[in-house]
Amino acid sequence: MDPSASLADKLASKTASSNSLDSSSKSSSLGSKHGGGENGILRDTPFGYLEGEEDQDQKNDVTYVCPYRGPVFGALTITNYRLYFRSLPLRDQEPPVVVDVPLGVIARVEKIGGATSRGWDGWAVYEPLAELRRLGVPNDMWRATKLNESYAICDSYPAVWAVPKAASDDFLRRVAQFRSRCRLPVLSWMNPRTQATITRCSQPLVGVSGKRNSDDEAYLSFIMEANAQSDKLTIMDARPSANAIANKAKGGGYESEDAYKNVEINFLDIHNIHVMRESLRKVKEACFPTTDDSKWQTAIDNTLWLKHIRCILAGAVRIVDKVETMSTSVVVHCSDGWDRTAQLTALSMLLLDPHYRTVRGFEVLIEKEWLSFGHKFQQRIGHGDNKHSDADRSPVFLQFIDSVWQVSQQFNNAFEFNEHFLITIVDHLYSCRFGTFLCNTEAERVAEDLKHKTTSLWTHINSSLDQYLNPLFPSFTHGAELVLRPIASVRSVRLWKGLYCRWNPGLCAPQHGCQRTRELLSKQDQLFKLVNELRLKSNNRSNSMQTTTRLASPMH
Amino acid sequence: MLTTTSATPFKSYVAPLPGDMRATADTNEWCLPSVLRDVHLAKPRLLQGEQIVASAPAYMYSPIDPMDSSGGSGSTLSATSSASGTPADRHHKEATFGLLSVTNFKLAFVPLHEKRNQAITAPLIDLYQENIYLGRNEITLNNIDHIYTISELGRAASALQAARGMASHAGMSRRKKLEPFKQQNISGRIAALHIVCKNFRLLKFAFQQQDSKMFGASDQGKLIASALVRFAYPMRHDLSFAYAHREPYYSTLGASGTSMYATKNDWARELIRCGATEWQVVSCASVQLLQNPLQAGKYTVPPHFVIPKSCSVDRFLDLSRAFCDSRAAFWVYSYGSSAALVRLAELQPAAQQDTKSENVMLELVRKCDAGRQLKLLQLTDRLPSIQDVLRAYQKLRRLCTPETPEKFMLQDDKYLGLLEKTNWLFYVSLCLRYASEAAATLRSGVTCVLQESNGRDLCCVISSLAQLLLDPHFRSIDGFQSLVQKEWVALEHPFQRRLGHVYPAQPAGGNAELFDSEQSPVFLLFLDCVWQLLQQFPDEFEFTQTYLTTLWDACFVPIFDTFQFDTQAQRLKAVTDSQLVLRPVWDWGEQFSDKDKMFFSNPLYQRQRGDLGAQAAAVAHRRSLAVGHKGAHGGGSGVTPSRNTINPQLFATASSVPQDRYLQPAHRIFDLQVWDQCYYRWLPILDIRGGGQPQVDLFHRLLLSNIAKVQRCLDYQNFDDLPDAFYEFAGESRPNQLKDEKPDKEDEAEFVDGVERRRKPTAKAATPTSGLTSVPGKLQLSTLSSFFPFGNPIAGDAPLQLYDILSSSSELLMETSSFLDKSSIV
Repeated sequence: MDPSASLADKLASKTASSNSLDSSSKSSSLGSKHGGGENGILRDTPFGYLEGEEDQDQKNDVTYVCPYRGPVFGALTITNYRLYFRSLPLRDQEPPVVVDVPLGVIARVEKIGGATSRGWDGWAVYEPLAELRRLGVPNDMWRATKLNESYAICDSYPAVWAVPKAASDDFLRRVAQFRSRCRLPVLSWMNPRTQATITRCSQPLVGVSGKRNSDDEAYLSFIMEANAQSDKLTIMDARPSANAIANKAKGGGYESEDAYKNVEINFLDIHNIHVMRESLRKVKEACFPTTDDSKWQTAIDNTLWLKHIRCILAGAVRIVDKVETMSTSVVVHCSDGWDRTAQLTALSMLLLDPHYRTVRGFEVLIEKEWLSFGHKFQQRIGHGDNKHSDADRSPVFLQFIDSVWQVSQQFNNAFEFNEHFLITIVDHLYSCRFGTFLCNTEAERVAEDLKHKTTSLWTHINSSLDQYLNPLFPSFTHGAELVLRPIASVRSVRLWKGLYCRWNPGLCAPQHGCQRTRELLSKQDQLFKLVNELRLKSNNRSNSMQTTTRLASPMH
Repeated sequence: MLTTTSATPFKSYVAPLPGDMRATADTNEWCLPSVLRDVHLAKPRLLQGEQIVASAPAYMYSPIDPMDSSGGSGSTLSATSSASGTPADRHHKEATFGLLSVTNFKLAFVPLHEKRNQAITAPLIDLYQENIYLGRNEITLNNIDHIYTISELGRAASALQAARGMASHAGMSRRKKLEPFKQQNISGRIAALHIVCKNFRLLKFAFQQQDSKMFGASDQGKLIASALVRFAYPMRHDLSFAYAHREPYYSTLGASGTSMYATKNDWARELIRCGATEWQVVSCASVQLLQNPLQAGKYTVPPHFVIPKSCSVDRFLDLSRAFCDSRAAFWVYSYGSSAALVRLAELQPAAQQDTKSENVMLELVRKCDAGRQLKLLQLTDRLPSIQDVLRAYQKLRRLCTPETPEKFMLQDDKYLGLLEKTNWLFYVSLCLRYASEAAATLRSGVTCVLQESNGRDLCCVISSLAQLLLDPHFRSIDGFQSLVQKEWVALEHPFQRRLGHVYPAQPAGGNAELFDSEQSPVFLLFLDCVWQLLQQFPDEFEFTQTYLTTLWDACFVPIFDTFQFDTQAQRLKAVTDSQLVLRPVWDWGEQFSDKDKMFFSNPLYQRQRGDLGAQAAAVAHRRSLAVGHKGAHGGGSGVTPSRNTINPQLFATASSVPQDRYLQPAHRIFDLQVWDQCYYRWLPILDIRGGGQPQVDLFHRLLLSNIAKVQRCLDYQNFDDLPDAFYEFAGESRPNQLKDEKPDKEDEAEFVDGVERRRKPTAKAATPTSGLTSVPGKLQLSTLSSFFPFGNPIAGDAPLQLYDILSSSSELLMETSSFLDKSSIV
């Protein structure tokens, strides 16, 4: 982000409060609009300029929230010495409200609101190092490395990795050789409290002969040892075990519990991209063009879509269970580690970490787990490709968004964003209006210079955030649950009618929305504002009489 | 659990000291002597008139362990049961040991080791629904539908597995349904009992064989099973516990607006409210013909009913003889100028050929309509029969009461298909569809006649649904109770037979089909329809789904007479012959504390200004009537019907029902959902901890509570007791929380700069200052079960805070001022 722009933004609307004796400047809030006030600014300001004092900025349409008289409209001048506000004389008999404060007196400047309406560069939403810092990396056990900065080691991985400290750069290069497409285990998420981690990779190149690689084995034990809470490591292979075994014939496979010490391998039974594509095709058939209401449920049942969603949810819940309940580190992989693996790591991170359930956090999650770790958006969606029925097409990302929707249906107030936000993401997954979902890998995106040639979807979304917010998300409290454990049962998983059936006029479900919630929220805020003003008034009154300390209010 | 079948069969299932169990299991000794001694201390709490019939020590199992849900495949099961897990997880896995008792009222299980945990769990349980008459592990005998015995053919060691109904032991144990009145010789030892309740609960008990001096060598399972067969299926209604329970009842319903339709005045008021001027109320007590004992037997009419004014009572009765159950054209509701909703039975089978009576009757009804228009809606052809409803219900219940995790997963794999095969949602969809059709007919100003074989089953469903769709009055709690009282109780839906309160003695041959044919949960079908409406119009109803679920449960508490009788005559007879104490279920304070009653009110409901006006008007009417007749109508007891005639024309003749607040629900199966709270609540495996509707309701209640508190502060101009959310809003810390980091709104911006606030509040909570519940600065919403107030309590709740939110939000909901009107909120 452009630092100068952000500075200007901060100046744009703010509250200034001073510690001077002049109590009138306390909590005066200034809301200003851009739009250049150059049309004839009167130079007849009644204050005398000091020697060397010069205007820095002037705005004519500023409202000063006077604690006594309420909001007054007037002009604000900022010089290199003072902040001067004078109300516009509306009624002649009243003296104008004047605020004249030397800048040095101002103790603190608070910005109020405005955060949502600012222009905002979506490409800056994800800073790999900042995100790692948020998780507590680097620390004693993990380090961040830019080993892959030129994408030389692994062309489908991001530039920045977090890896166990015990592994040297050369060592990492050797481990990469034993993993399909060099996608070696790299940190996705770490619980800052327990140090239990989720790492992701592709399948090991075991092959039919059952090859072993001592570096890879040592590397996994580094990952295990980085977590002092557990002496085990769980590998979650997203595939059905039959598929994992079949992959041995192609040189892949899975870690054998004999070769890897203290490792437990689980198969999560999630089917491959071709099965998912076929399933979604059936969903489309069930929803278009006509449906038979009496056979509706069987039709949906036969698509198996909900069963697949259940499998993904169940897999994510198992990962959550391991990481949260057992404090065991988990390694997730499938075949190449960019489809099912991304689904599982992203979903389990979403369940584990409340940050990813905010709008910004969710954007980071997609940028990180999907875009930077090389989910092949171009291949799966088919942007810029005329082979319509290419076998590489698959709704893997859509399925992830669907799973997120399922979780948001089970935990209505755990998410800052609403259904519309998810649908918008899906729409622009196909729309090509934004650069976010173009190309296959981070390396390609850098080569194409998408950051400068295109706009990010997040810029678009964050500039009109209001419509994507969930009114049920408690802004003033924590959600009920920090770690979500959705129910992975077809009984609790539903077809996302708002997405799949929205174009069928016969199936448009009536939407009741959250009208009442919004009403209550605005009523509450209205009252809060009223109380705040009254309280300030009475505080100022008592302050002017004597400085009394406020009594502690009784807990209720 | 696959692992447990091998070497150490009891390792993870038996609550008291696994080591000892293992040592004794081989010798068919089953428990420690000290535990046996304690069993006698665990007595169930008895009501007045209640007696214990049989008692036996037993293990109770949770239906399905929640931990098993995590994996789609069987491999998880071994992982979770062998790994240690948290104590809470293990708690669910284990069976609870205690004393199982059958009384003449209930089946009660008293856990023996509950006291150990009481210190931790007692305040939590407090927040979940508590029935004054029933504990958490108790069910009334009325609630019991099917009893399955698992008789054991192999060694005693398999008993516990048998209780869980494991497929692998199918060869060794046999699941068998106990039939009422068949004094079948229960062969083999009964190792376990599965009890399927009418409210979808499945209880599983296991018994252990023993040769103890204390209980003798008798078969404990057999003891309980035979007691249940004798007492759970009474042949006569006066064997019901209601007759033994002679506790007097003092009504507190006087102040409520629930109309009982037990007097002529109640009907007259409804006629006035609807502006129905072409109809008249008839009371049996004032009809000569019906007072004649020789003649009265030919008619089965309710004590009060409303017929066309143009028809004399004698003529009407004469015509009614052609119809089933004498149900000829009863008025129930009018909408708009003169369109009436009328319920009509079909002609008697013998009189089917001669449709003259029917034509005459319909002509009489048509005359009451200003436009002389009438639409006959024949329900028999369009809606399922009561047998269809019963079959659908049984299939649905099978889906909701799987005995084992394996069965659960098996059902889950093709769940939607199975659900469709039950037809339950299809029937719900049909009911909503024809109710909408009836409502639309009335809205277009045309009288609608609902016709069904006896006019007392699906007529009730369609008629009451249509009125719910049309009239906002019936969407309040009082109004809804009045509606049920009018359509179901006063017009005599045969609750006793439909809910299976009495199992009539069977004719020789034991035809099970015939025996079941009278039973049918028509009322549940209605409640489900109402629940669907509640989903589609969440802010139109004063009551919550908890209220509806509780209503279904209340059908099986015989202490309340509301849902116990087929006819009013039967009810009167019970009072006069057996001194039965009548206790309406609507007096919820009889069963629940104030706290539980709060869960009945919907935080989203917006009372309209008009409603209050109408209510005031209703009260005024009542007052004027009471004065006009010297207080003749007696508080809804209905024992002494008023002989006074009220001429509705003395009062306002225009309908006071608002015409602009009708609902138009979607009724396709596509738009319907499964009523999870009612049907799934006994399956901990489906419990979304911290999710679901209760959490949303809690959020709304928190908003209401904040508004109420701030409003109070404004009223008193005292700002010391502001809600926590206010300080969050103002960006201040609570005055009495000294050390408090300031939560500022710039954290998002800070994130970009890489300066991070701590992510996890739990990490903060780990600092010694704060306890379990609160994170400093931010208010933490309580975690509820998605089946709240049913389901299992969750450890770590903040019950005090929750209670505070509940009470201050209800304050606002109950408030009669129109403060929260639609119009008062911008």
